[in-house]
Amino acid sequence: MTSIRISNLEKRFGDVVALADVNLTIGEGEFFTLLGPSGCGKTTLLRTIAGFYRQDKGDVFLGDELVNNVPAYKRNTGMVFQNYAVFPHMTVFENVAYGLRVRKRPAAEIDMRVKAALKNVHLEGYESRTPDQLSGGQQQRVGLARAMAIQPRVLLFDEPLSNLDAKLRVDMRDEIRSVQKALGITAVYVTHDQEEALVISDRIAVVNLGRVQQVGAPWDIYKKPANLFVATFVGKINTFEVELGESAGQGLRMARRGTIELIVPSEGTEGIDRATLAFRPEDAVEPSSNSAAGAAEFDAAVAAKAATEVIHVTAAGAAEFDEAAACACNCLSGALSNASFLGTVASLELEVQGERMVIERHRPRERDIPAVGEKVEFAVPPRACMLFDIASGKALGAGGGR
Amino acid sequence: MTLSRRKGDVWTLVTMLGFAIVLIFLIYPLADVFRYSFMDKETGNISLSNWKEFFGRAYYMRAFSHSIIVAVATTALSVLLGVPLAFFTTRYKIKGSILLNTFAVLALLSPPFIGAYSWITMLGRNGFLRIALASIGINLPPIYGPLGIILADALQYYPFVSLMTSGALMTIDRSLEEASENLGARSGRTFFRVTMPLVMPSLAGGALISFMMSLSNFGTPMIIGGNYLVLPTLAYNLFTSEVSERPGMASTVSLILMLCASVIILLQQWVSSRRKYSSMLVNRPTVKRLGGWKSFVAHFICYLIVGLSTLPLAVIVFYSFRNTKGPVFVSGFGLDSYRQIIYDVPKTVINSFTYSLIAVVLIVVVGTMLGFILARRRNFSVKVLDNLLTIPYIVPGTVLGIGFIVAFNRKPLYLAGTATIIIMTYFIRRLPYSVRSAASILKQIDPSLEEAGINLGSPPGRTFRTVTLPLMKAGIISGAIMSWITSMNELSASILLYVGKTMTMPIKIYLSVIDGYFGTASAMSTILLVVTGVAMFIVNKYFNRGSETFISA
Repeated sequence: MTSIRISNLEKRFGDVVALADVNLTIGEGEFFTLLGPSGCGKTTLLRTIAGFYRQDKGDVFLGDELVNNVPAYKRNTGMVFQNYAVFPHMTVFENVAYGLRVRKRPAAEIDMRVKAALKNVHLEGYESRTPDQLSGGQQQRVGLARAMAIQPRVLLFDEPLSNLDAKLRVDMRDEIRSVQKALGITAVYVTHDQEEALVISDRIAVVNLGRVQQVGAPWDIYKKPANLFVATFVGKINTFEVELGESAGQGLRMARRGTIELIVPSEGTEGIDRATLAFRPEDAVEPSSNSAAGAAEFDAAVAAKAATEVIHVTAAGAAEFDEAAACACNCLSGALSNASFLGTVASLELEVQGERMVIERHRPRERDIPAVGEKVEFAVPPRACMLFDIASGKALGAGGGR
Repeated sequence: MTLSRRKGDVWTLVTMLGFAIVLIFLIYPLADVFRYSFMDKETGNISLSNWKEFFGRAYYMRAFSHSIIVAVATTALSVLLGVPLAFFTTRYKIKGSILLNTFAVLALLSPPFIGAYSWITMLGRNGFLRIALASIGINLPPIYGPLGIILADALQYYPFVSLMTSGALMTIDRSLEEASENLGARSGRTFFRVTMPLVMPSLAGGALISFMMSLSNFGTPMIIGGNYLVLPTLAYNLFTSEVSERPGMASTVSLILMLCASVIILLQQWVSSRRKYSSMLVNRPTVKRLGGWKSFVAHFICYLIVGLSTLPLAVIVFYSFRNTKGPVFVSGFGLDSYRQIIYDVPKTVINSFTYSLIAVVLIVVVGTMLGFILARRRNFSVKVLDNLLTIPYIVPGTVLGIGFIVAFNRKPLYLAGTATIIIMTYFIRRLPYSVRSAASILKQIDPSLEEAGINLGSPPGRTFRTVTLPLMKAGIISGAIMSWITSMNELSASILLYVGKTMTMPIKIYLSVIDGYFGTASAMSTILLVVTGVAMFIVNKYFNRGSETFISA
């Protein structure tokens, strides 16, 4: 088990800065993911750890060893490649044995370790096959077995699943995770697929434009994005600019855009009068269920409404107190422009006072999917609202940590 | 990019070796050609007198226009023969189309002057075909001169056009043609508006290679051209003529030849840089079955074209088994001619095999290493080397021969009359092809395979040996066989460099033809043809590499 430490790393290709100011500490046995859009530098970072690139500044430590000047073939990292890189002129056995032969292990040990590695990836009996007789998923298993067989200090994954079809991707993802945990090897995993990253990782580093944007557990990355980039890249989110108004008490304040009025957390917004507001589609709730099931949650908001006498009634004919109260708490309505039914959720695209917003209804009933043009009401709980600095995109306060 | 880069590793040495080879065996001799061309014969000062004379005298300008006329006509005829063959064999079911292809390639790879001298035996002054036709009242124009050159050249080089065109025709996505028909175009319109534009870059590429080969061909015009001088034969005459040896003028002619060749190469690069329309081959074009008279016409055209180009080869083989008495053929068949070779000139056969095999070993080793740095280690010096390696493409054999004689006839590298100078000629003429082919094979090998090897703990050298090299093997061997064929058949440079003890088979054939010993020439040509055919068969059968290997050669 080996930790990885990267400090002040910088890598340029000509004039292009591929990585800058990268500081990461990856713990022993941790499954660590580098997540970002293509061209963000995540693969460059992985290849720098493997030794295929030499950084221009900074240090890479594997365990306590500074490996800046250690050539790639002496680093003892096991890499799994995006396009498998299974040697086409060797059998499955020879592929997995390759690294062991380089290390001049006795034949009996090679035999044993190859068999064990193939067993780990459920490829027993495939020893004498050649790669052209294997499917993509099987080839990638050979790639994984080959990387594990050398008992590397760390496992490096370079988008290993992106060439596989959707179903296989999910199976392989779980398998990689369970094998890694069983062996307890530190793993660094590169992907652009945020769902994959959330599922597989102990911790994630979101990378963009050559810089690490945020490091954290999947929960924190999703629920407490450090900046607007992380918020928009991981998961879906609605964003629009708002003007911040008077306090609404209880750590809340008013936010307005045109006729839209919302109560939002005030933490971190002192002295700021404009911000980007963001909320996730799944955080939008039905006004009625809001009042019935989640009334307690909105006590604060109701109190705020009472205190400030801000009454914002969108629902026509909302006479009952419950509903009125609920709608007053960040209730919005808009005309449906498009609805997609995805099985467990229905995704509704709405036109809210000139803003395009997407909300989700979970376990949708038939009546939850209205016709195009129909009015849809929803409420955004104040604590689900995240605010970001307009200029820097940095999160204001703790974000939507519900 | 992929292997860890450090100063002073083995690949830096390879780059330096590449530069050394190019400097000594290319730049140095060509610099001499250049120097001679710009030196006044009498005074030895720098002067343009040779150039003035070239452009001032009708004698030289005529050779220039002859070269252009022959090359243009050869190209036109090659297209005329090549395109129908390509179209019919790729789009319609033609019985024996594989055989047709094989014979076309055999004609292409046959020694460069066999065709010429075979046409002489058929249509020369005493040609059997001429006599036969004359007896029924048909008098053909003399075969000596431009007509003969064009006929022999076109029948040898048209496979460049047909192979490249059929390659393109086979890789057009069928749905493009279907789309055209779906949008309402008739099949004729589809052919001219969709199919033809798509294969045009490849067709033009093949045509330009034919032009280039015809322009720099020495053997054919020498044998069948008679008094009709073209640039390569003019340069040869100027250089070797005992009465009026003019190395300065020969050098000038050489430079003009190289200038023409450079223009063609530039055109070729321009053509191939334009979009290549190869698709992922999801929808291969279908091969249609023709019926009735249409099928007959298609078959007739294909067999006529290939038959015409195979005829000269068949005649040679036939003649090699006729009995001879000295230079004269007598009635009856036997192995006289072959016996004569074994008694008279066994050394020639041995020389050919030895020199070409040594050259091939050098070509493969150096070519593969240089190909590797070209594909995987691109830096400034490698790019310079890459560009320098294009020089042999524009240096006709005759020109290289002249350069070699001048440069290696003095200290510090005195090589005149040695086997080394012939081997080095083969080597340097073929090296760029080998380098390019190795580089292109490497480009098809995913670099991540090498990275995987290194990542698993194998140092770069071992990774190259255990991963890269085995994957390149088939390509390297088939490339080596191609190099061997062309080296075995090399004439234009070695004819200037040989001495008695370093004579090779093509030279002996040429001399036998000149002296009228057609029996010996036929037997030796047949040996070369068989060697070529066997080599082709091996490439096709064991390395599963088709025609593209033969055209890239």
